[in-house]
Amino acid sequence: MNNLFRNHASYATALTVAAGVGLTLAGCATAPVSPEGSADVRAKLTQLQADPELATRAPVAIREAEAAVRTAEEPLAAADASLGTHRVYIADRKVEIAMAQAATKQAELERVKLGEERERSRLDARTREADAAHAEAEATRVAAAGAATQAALQAEDMQRQIDALEAKATERGIVLTLGDVLFTSGRADLKVGAAGNLDRLVAFLDQNPDRRVMIEGHTDNVGSDDSNLGLSQRRADSVQSFLVQRGIAAGRISTSGKGEHQPVADNQSEGGRQQNRRVEVIIENPTPVAKSP
Amino acid sequence: MNDRTASGRALRPMIAASLAGILILVSACASAPLAPDSALDGARVAISNADKAGAGQHANAELAEARARLALADNAVKDEDMVAAERFARESQVQAELASARTAAAKAAAVNRDMERGTEAMTEEMERAGDQR
Repeated sequence: MNNLFRNHASYATALTVAAGVGLTLAGCATAPVSPEGSADVRAKLTQLQADPELATRAPVAIREAEAAVRTAEEPLAAADASLGTHRVYIADRKVEIAMAQAATKQAELERVKLGEERERSRLDARTREADAAHAEAEATRVAAAGAATQAALQAEDMQRQIDALEAKATERGIVLTLGDVLFTSGRADLKVGAAGNLDRLVAFLDQNPDRRVMIEGHTDNVGSDDSNLGLSQRRADSVQSFLVQRGIAAGRISTSGKGEHQPVADNQSEGGRQQNRRVEVIIENPTPVAKSP
Repeated sequence: MNDRTASGRALRPMIAASLAGILILVSACASAPLAPDSALDGARVAISNADKAGAGQHANAELAEARARLALADNAVKDEDMVAAERFARESQVQAELASARTAAAKAAAVNRDMERGTEAMTEEMERAGDQR
């Protein structure tokens, strides 16, 4: 009987414990379900994770969001609805944070690209500038080539002119010798017939405005040294004034009386003396410095 | 007689078991909330950070909500509902963090826009300079 009672008692105890456990379960989880809104948060996170560009941009934040979403998805009893709402709220913000961070990172990466683009656009501009400069240089080169051709033609022309003047090209320049036939012996004024010869000189100087001329007067050894120096100077001046009258700028012309000291022939013979009585017009070679492009 | 005594004896373990059951119930469902001070502090710091980052300009709605949640948390503390207080505080913090994140995103986007505009302007200028040649 005692045994029976004891068995009864232990049965009752077991029942009570079972009821207690039952109560516990009933109290905490009547028909447990995932909280409302957790599916939406999961969908939002899935969308972020599926974006191949953004998904890799904020790995830490996405991992945190994943954990928060998983917590939010835990089934809860109806009595814990507010906890569910709280968890969904947290999860939603974590997902939003991950999205914002991914967007920030994306923008930063794009900035690098933008910087490169800017650099490229700057380079393009430089290239365009360089191309333009190159084109300009090419144009200049072509022009220079043209000028060279022109120069060649001019040189030919010059040679013809020199030939016409019956002059000689020397190191000092083109030397045109005006014989004493231009002057009456002992006098400095030009003979009337001299004009024809000098006209060609004037034409030459007109065509070559960059050339300067040096006019040197020379005599034979007849007469005193001083008078010969004076005569040679006056003859040179006479040629100069003729040129100035014909419109050649006086500044382009210099004169010098050399007297009897630079004979070109023997003063012993009349023929030689005649050769020594002369005016030399030296058309100076153009100075390279004065040359402008 | 014996019967009554036996049932009386049997009652005692039943009461004990029930108490244990209630105890389990209480401990399982309603863990006593710690003081939510750290959660409240966390929210305040997060709000302050967001504010300093310029959330007032770039994510004002988010910042305002974070402040509203913190106010709810403070009210819950007054009502001695510590569970609610801690939840509101945590929500306030995460909301403030979102405000900071959106502020950073907005700033980054603004910088990019400026750069794009700058590049466009430069390209235009260069093209104009090119035309002048």
